[in-house]
This record gives sequence, C-alpha cells and structure tokens, in this order.
Amino acid sequence: MPFDLTVLTPHLDTLLAGALLTAEVCALGIVGAFTLATALGLLAVGRGWAGRLARLYVDVFRNVPFVVQVFFLFYGLPEVGVYIDAFWTGVLALGLVGGAYGSDVVRSGILAIEPGVVEAAKVSGLSRLAIIRRVVLPIALRTAIRPLGSVFVNLVLSSSILSMITLDEVTGTARGVASETYRPFEVYAFLLAAYAGLTYAVSLGIDALHRRLNRHMAENGAAPGATHGVMGRTA
Amino acid sequence: MMAVEGVVKRFGAHTVLDGVSLTVAPGEVVTILGSSGSGKSTLIRCINGLEALDGGRITVDGLDVSDPRQLARARRLSATVFQMFNLYPHMTVLRNITLAPELVLRRPRDEVEAQAHALLASVGLAGKADSYPGQLSGGQRQRVGICRALAMNPRYLLLDEVTSALDPEMTAEVLAILGKLAARQSGGGGTTMLFVTHEVEFARRISTRIVFLDQGRLIVDLPTDQFFAADGGLAHPRIRQFLSKMAPAAPLAEIPA
Repeated sequence: MPFDLTVLTPHLDTLLAGALLTAEVCALGIVGAFTLATALGLLAVGRGWAGRLARLYVDVFRNVPFVVQVFFLFYGLPEVGVYIDAFWTGVLALGLVGGAYGSDVVRSGILAIEPGVVEAAKVSGLSRLAIIRRVVLPIALRTAIRPLGSVFVNLVLSSSILSMITLDEVTGTARGVASETYRPFEVYAFLLAAYAGLTYAVSLGIDALHRRLNRHMAENGAAPGATHGVMGRTA
Repeated sequence: MMAVEGVVKRFGAHTVLDGVSLTVAPGEVVTILGSSGSGKSTLIRCINGLEALDGGRITVDGLDVSDPRQLARARRLSATVFQMFNLYPHMTVLRNITLAPELVLRRPRDEVEAQAHALLASVGLAGKADSYPGQLSGGQRQRVGICRALAMNPRYLLLDEVTSALDPEMTAEVLAILGKLAARQSGGGGTTMLFVTHEVEFARRISTRIVFLDQGRLIVDLPTDQFFAADGGLAHPRIRQFLSKMAPAAPLAEIPA
C-alpha cells in the first residue's frame, strides 16, 4: 500500500475539528497554567505557611502521572458530586499541572532578580503589591518566558491523554479514523504533523514574546547565581 | 533629624554594628569613613529599613524605622543612592525616575516628568530619558540613580559608596554632581546628606562632619576640619593608619613595584 494522503480526504473535517479542539483546550490550559504558575511562583518564594503550601502543591502535582490526575478529575470527582465535562476537565487538568511545572520556572526567575533592584523599590516607599506588579513580576517573567514556553509545549503534548476521557481531540479522532480506514500510516502522519505544527506555533509565539520583552535588557537584569530571597522579611 | 541610638546589628555570630550612635541634623553633610567591613553600608541599610535592628533605635524626624507603619512614612522623607545603581532594568530612564514620585507621593505624572527631565538635564543626560539602563555606561547609570533619588524631593539623601563601582573618570563625573548638590546645602533648606565613601579628599571638601567607623564601633565624630587636624581625628592611631593607606594622590615613586 503506497503512501496516499488522499485517503484522508473524507475524514479531513473530523481530523481538523479534532486539531481545533486540541488547540482550544491547550490555549485555555496554557492561560490557566500561566496564571497559576505566576501566583504559585510568587507564593513559593515566601518563607511563611503560604510558601510551604505552594511548594507542597508543586511537589504533589509533579509527582503524580498526568493520566491519573485526569482520571481523578473526570471519573473520581463525580463520586463526590462534582461533575465537570470532558473539555473543562481537560482545561483544568492542563492548568493544574502546567501551573505546578511553571511555578518553579517563575520562582527561579524571581530568585534570579538582582536583590538590589528590589531593595531600591522598597526604600523608595513602594508598597509590597506595587513592587510585585511593577518590578518583581515584569523582570522575573522576562527571564522565565522561554522556559515557560517549554512547559507550554509539554502541555500540548500531554493533552493527547485527554482522548482517554472521551474528549474528541486530535489524538482520539485520529485513532478513530485509523481504525475506520485501516490506514494508520497516513492518519498518524497527519497526527505527527498536527502536533508538530501546534507546538511550533507555541514556540514561535514564545520566541516573539521573549524578543519583544527583552529588547532593552542588555544587561543589569537578572543576576546569575543570585539566590537571596528577594521578598525578605524586612519589607 | 536622623537619630541613630546605640544600634546593634549582627549577622549570625558576627556583630557588624556594636552600639553605634549618630545624629544628622538638617542641612548637614555627614561622611562615614572606615575600612571595608567596618559596618558603614550596614548602617545605611539600617537607616532605610533594609536591615532589621538587633538593638538600639533609629528615628527619621521622630519616625521609628523598626515600626513598619512609621518606616513607610520615613521612606518618603529619605532617598538612597546605591553602589550598584540598582536601576529598574525593564524601565526607561524616565520611568525609573518617575515611578516612586507618582506611586508613592501621588504627584501628577506631567509634573513629575517635567521634574525628571530637568534633573536629567542638570546631570548632563538630557537626551537619555527614553534609553534603558542597559544602554548606559556605569557613570551615566549612577547619575540616573541620583536623579531617581532627588525626584523624591527627599529631606535626607543616603549615599552608599556611590562611586565604588566606577572607574576614575566616571567617579569624577558623579562626584562633580554630588559636589554641586552639597554646595547647594550651605544655603540651607536643601537635602541633608549621609555619605558613605572611600573618596577621602572628596569627603573633606564637601562634608560638614566626618565620623569614623571601626569594627562596628563609631570611634570618632568630628567637624571636618577637626577630623583632619593633627590634634583631632589624626591623633587617633587607627584613623592615621587608615588615612595614610587611603592617600589618593600618592606619588608613583612611593608605591613599591
């Protein structure tokens, strides 16, 4: 049987709809992951109970297989009366796990900030919130954006597992089409290309964002090796 | 008035400040001299609330810096210029200067920007408002650091080894500006300065008073001319030793190859 992509033509709509669904669930998952990563990263640098709690969260979610988290949310939660549909379970699961991995990246971005820069903000009388919003996060995210991109790419890859909770995303759709057409080679070639395209789009977006944010940051930004807690106790 | 009363600061088992007392009255330019590790910078960091005290008390116009509420108010009265500049790397020069006046003092943006442009012009950086710190030389960055501090219209200016990270040429640029600032003080009503430096000759020229820190203790506190008098500060062996090592214009012949 020669390689013949035309066998996909009758199923193209289904496959593209699956790819679109993957893109949607991933886009929302990335937004959730970014938000959670930022919040957890900020909390995790703290020394109090909030910091310990944030670090515990990160450890738990990084040490449990993604598929188990997804099963727990989709099949476990209804037992206690919490019903979430497959799509939003997917968004939630991607957000929760991406937030855990991303928070570590944000946290190290914060720890890499030259402590003196934050001290300058403190002595100028800026409030804690203003320092976080105007100084700490803008600098930390500039450092963190690239490694965050890797986390987001991994989320796109992990989203294939959502086919196991009846979500008609691109992997699940492809499996259906493959068993219907008996042309796994063509179908999975399409799947390969779909994931490569999606992750490439994420990478391109991150690269552009990184360049834009860092265009003026010649040096004097994050100090390599700086390990002080910048939000120290002498506020 | 800034009043430091019997301040003790320890890092672990090491006592950095051991009962330091010092007052700086409005209009004064006080220089803190002392060798590295004598606690000069730590003293500045205690005054602006970056380090918690292990003993004693510091007040700025009566506001106790150990109390978070009062510290917040005290920080509006003083401004600090740092050794490593510590500019916000992601903001333009202009924004570096206007951020705190706008957010902390709640002054209108155009007024603050006008002041920032005037300050930049006064330090020879009129064209640099839209540059980023990463695009400036060290001397230029420190001049921006000075503008950022002055834009707070501080009653007290704390200067922490502001030229130590600069080469001699850039040091001269920055000292020239500080010299002008200090000269303005003699008119009265201006900014009071507390100045940590290794530039002894410069300190001699601009200071009204010089204090000497040695191993966390303030061993001498004298008006400038008495500090350098043979029967004043120079009578103290530790200070004589320090000044002989610091003599800036030592002829090359005296330095062993």
